Amino acid sequence: MKLPLFRDGHLWRWWPVWLAQHRSAATNSWKKLLARPLSTGMTWLLVALSLALPASLWLTLSNLNAATAHLEHPPQFSLLLTEQTDLDAAARLQNSITSWPQVAAVALLPAEEALAQFTSLTGLSPLLASLPRNPLPHTLLVSLEKTATELDRARVAERLESSDGVAQVVLDTLWLTRLEEGLRAASRWVLAVGVMMALGTVLALGNTLRLTVVAREEEILVVRLIGGSKAFARRPFLYTGLWYGLGGGLLGAVILWFFSGWLAGPVNALFALYESQQRLQWPGFHYPVILLTVAVLLGWIAAWTACEKHLRQLERH
Amino acid sequence: MIEFDRVSRRYGDQHALRNLNLAIDQGEMAFLTGHSGAGKSTALRLLLLLDRPTGGEIRVGGERLTRLTGGAVARYRRRFGVVFQDHRLLFDRSVHDNVALPLEIAGFSPRDTTRRVRAALDKVGLLASERADPASLSGGEQQRVGIARAVVARPEFLIADEPTGNLDPQLSAEIMSLFEAFNQVGVTVLIATHDMPLICRLRHRIITLSSGNLVAEDGQ
Repeated sequence: MKLPLFRDGHLWRWWPVWLAQHRSAATNSWKKLLARPLSTGMTWLLVALSLALPASLWLTLSNLNAATAHLEHPPQFSLLLTEQTDLDAAARLQNSITSWPQVAAVALLPAEEALAQFTSLTGLSPLLASLPRNPLPHTLLVSLEKTATELDRARVAERLESSDGVAQVVLDTLWLTRLEEGLRAASRWVLAVGVMMALGTVLALGNTLRLTVVAREEEILVVRLIGGSKAFARRPFLYTGLWYGLGGGLLGAVILWFFSGWLAGPVNALFALYESQQRLQWPGFHYPVILLTVAVLLGWIAAWTACEKHLRQLERH
Repeated sequence: MIEFDRVSRRYGDQHALRNLNLAIDQGEMAFLTGHSGAGKSTALRLLLLLDRPTGGEIRVGGERLTRLTGGAVARYRRRFGVVFQDHRLLFDRSVHDNVALPLEIAGFSPRDTTRRVRAALDKVGLLASERADPASLSGGEQQRVGIARAVVARPEFLIADEPTGNLDPQLSAEIMSLFEAFNQVGVTVLIATHDMPLICRLRHRIITLSSGNLVAEDGQ
């Protein structure tokens, strides 16, 4: 028998055929999808929303990370002085610490001012007024250079603790650690949500594609009967999955873009209120790239599993 | 040459085929007959590797079918043209595209494909319906499209399972004469049928099966 282009083992002869078969499978699947615009659109929307949700959460999180990044530096120590230390001694200590290496600035917070701040922040003035004397000591607020390392911080803390007139050294990073841990927890949460949504997409897409395969069962059977390989029988469905993924991914990227635009106004206003130079980070180029890659992969996997099950069933009988 | 060598196929306790010995020569045309359940369809399914024997072996052109697995099965099936009782056309594409399917699988260029599809449709007398929707054709016409699809890639063997099952006597005779025409140009033809009145008038070997056994071989 003469098959003009097909000879086993001759890949270079088979290559143009393979390409032509792919082109034909791709265009035919695309035309079939466009022939049912409503169901195709709904599938695209399903993929788009299940991917845009975790992507927008991720975007929010990375914005939060960026907004809090500048808070990490410089670390600040609160130096609670002993009750015996008077305001002059505190001022002298302030001057001496200012000249230490890695120290950027030292501010003096006199006990009266500290009490006033505390009163206005807590609204406990009647209670505080009833105290016989100010329970707060004078406080020095020591800021380190932005370049200070963990080691520098430890050294300065040690030196501060051994200084005369210092009752307690408090490193004001606890809240920062809490925030960092909070963000870490949130990013895991986003990852978990993302994985769950992706799994949901595969299942939902798998179901849609399974229905497509069932509706075109005859085609698989006939192709297999007249000598088409499994790959040939599977190909149109893989392309259908790929188109679902590609369309859904693109739509998802557009949704994410609108989401960012919608948020940008109030978020930037909020940043301005905090007198921050920060602006909302728009989704970078990697967002649509990742979205599309993930969506196409999900569509492809869903199509493959839907076909595999069916091909096996047909071969068995 | 197709050889069945002591071929058996058992489904549970049911013997669909029992030690069947059968040989069909290159270029021969033969009918496989017997009432329902005699094993005709099982024999064809085994020959097309849609099923595997539980005993014995089948050889085609000296090649043992038991050895074929995976991609070799698909390539082996391309040596056959198959006609089904219910024609198994795909109704989501035109007559042309249905007939072109084996050529697409085998990797013919679009130009060769069109040429061959037209030639095949011309032989079965349906060239004018090339662009038609298969669902708009009559049963006999659909069967002829099925035959065009079976022969378009010029297979060595033409296999048909009850190809005239749903047709009236006159259409059946026309279909049979089409098979004879392909046989005359060198294609080995094997047709499973129980249309005895029709095949008795034709001068070809008739192989009769009963309960999975060969019971008679007549004619030539």
